[in-house]
Amino acid sequence: MNRRLVIILILATLILYAWPMSSWLSTLGRQPATFATYAPSTPEVDSKPFMVEEFINPDPGTGMVHVGSICELSDGRLTAAWYGGTREGAKDVAIFLATKDPGHPTRWSKPKRVVDRISASRELYRYIKKVGNSIIFTGSGDRLYLIYVTISAGGWSGSSLNVKVSSDAGITWNNSRRLTLSPFFNISELVRSKPVPLNSGGFALPIYHECLGYFPEILWIQSGREDGAIAFRKSRMAGGQSFIQPSVVAYGPALATGFYRCRSDKKAVGVAVTKNAGVSWSEPQTLNLPNPDSAVDAILLSDHRILLAFNDSVQNRENLRLAVSNDRGSDWVRIATLESTQGEKYSYPYMIRSQDGLIHLVYTWHRKRIKHVVFNEAWINAQMKRTAK
Amino acid sequence: MYLGFSFVFPFLLIMALLQGGTGLLGTLRGWRPTLILGLISAFIAVTPVGGLPLARWMISFNANFSISLTAILFCKVLEISFGVKLLDKNTLLTCWVFSLTAGLILYPMALGLGGFDPYQAGWGFSWLFVVVGGVTILLLIMKNRFAVVLIAAILAYNLRLLESTNLWDYLVDPFMILVSCIALSSRFLRKLSKRA
Repeated sequence: MNRRLVIILILATLILYAWPMSSWLSTLGRQPATFATYAPSTPEVDSKPFMVEEFINPDPGTGMVHVGSICELSDGRLTAAWYGGTREGAKDVAIFLATKDPGHPTRWSKPKRVVDRISASRELYRYIKKVGNSIIFTGSGDRLYLIYVTISAGGWSGSSLNVKVSSDAGITWNNSRRLTLSPFFNISELVRSKPVPLNSGGFALPIYHECLGYFPEILWIQSGREDGAIAFRKSRMAGGQSFIQPSVVAYGPALATGFYRCRSDKKAVGVAVTKNAGVSWSEPQTLNLPNPDSAVDAILLSDHRILLAFNDSVQNRENLRLAVSNDRGSDWVRIATLESTQGEKYSYPYMIRSQDGLIHLVYTWHRKRIKHVVFNEAWINAQMKRTAK
Repeated sequence: MYLGFSFVFPFLLIMALLQGGTGLLGTLRGWRPTLILGLISAFIAVTPVGGLPLARWMISFNANFSISLTAILFCKVLEISFGVKLLDKNTLLTCWVFSLTAGLILYPMALGLGGFDPYQAGWGFSWLFVVVGGVTILLLIMKNRFAVVLIAAILAYNLRLLESTNLWDYLVDPFMILVSCIALSSRFLRKLSKRA
């Protein structure tokens, strides 16, 4: 290399690095991403306790279903997604979607197949062995996001995340897009919990890694300029091998608590807090609530209490209970047992709060059906009073 | 753009394998054998197997072959084809050391060792860009050709030639680390045997 070429290449280097630096400089004046803390509607004082249970999907017979998620569209309709097939990890597993009109009593629509390994393989233009966990949520307007797992080789540790976007409330979908989230063959990234909306219009989506390490992470999603396009990055909530499947409850622009599924011998629900909008998280601690290595989900109530759905056991998923905390997750009061049957499984609770203040809980019922339980805060308060007696 | 570029690494790998195989029959230098082998390689890369081009099968299991590894392979193919040696021993040694160092910084922590994830730094301008940019300029001043590979990596990142939007994936990949380990180990063993 002669001197002139060296100078030209140095200049080229500076120009090429100025490119990403300029977009970074343009963000300097902006406010850092903060959690959009909605002001939950205060429940009417005279509202009566209300609780309804129903199944979203028909009985799949000898098949199985798992990992349900639910969201509300702007017109009040509910949409639920889950995966089902002959067995977990089977090649015929597909992700299904059903909708329900507002009001009661209306039925859930017939499940519609949104993606399976064949369609994912075609859209992602690569070999897909199977599909798995998915979650569905709404963005601005009626834009629906479906984040789902695909596996090209191996088991769950071979998982990669993909996104599908619908701009017409789930009638049609854009082609799937692969999210590169790990430098190691882009594997071992999974999703399970609902996102936390951000003030910027984006989302903080709790995800987790399971390969050599097992740890919780946050996937930061921002809508792109083009229709259906997204920009993303991820950050870590904790390292190690003990905690996965974070469920995040935000109660201030910068304040949130994360609840974790615990894989360690402690067999208790894990917890961590952030005071800087998810930039850093405290070291995970364990709560005084058992956890049999199963997913939990939490949601903020109108008076800033936290409601938690969990398996109240250190051994199995034979029950599903609700607990309430008045102090942002330190102490808990068990308020209701939704399920309890020996030898059965109730797992993967997922809760949202709809615009009318109702809380919608979906979970895997006997690995056969996705159950939808709807209740209001008056019901929670009534359960608390009953427990206090 | 990344869809088209995803065929480049598989094409080069097939070409290198063909050159290795046919090279046993005799020397294959020159335009004509290179053109023939290139066409055969391109044909194999796009040949559908089970509904997918062979190249996309390779991408199914690793979608982000780093620019460094692609550049090494490209130079190897060029060397066999025309006897042009773009990367000298010094450049290759720099490449192995850089890749191994990057891999040692990245992989253990990205896979869960501790609470810090260096992979996070690759999604937008950060300390990683400053370090790699600085190393590139330093190597240019030292007239080390590996700097050109690093320039190609940041150019590819800006053009989003890989599926990944993270700079780390343009610099290293697990295969690059493996190749660097083998190259440095064999170099070390050679030196050791020479001393003996």
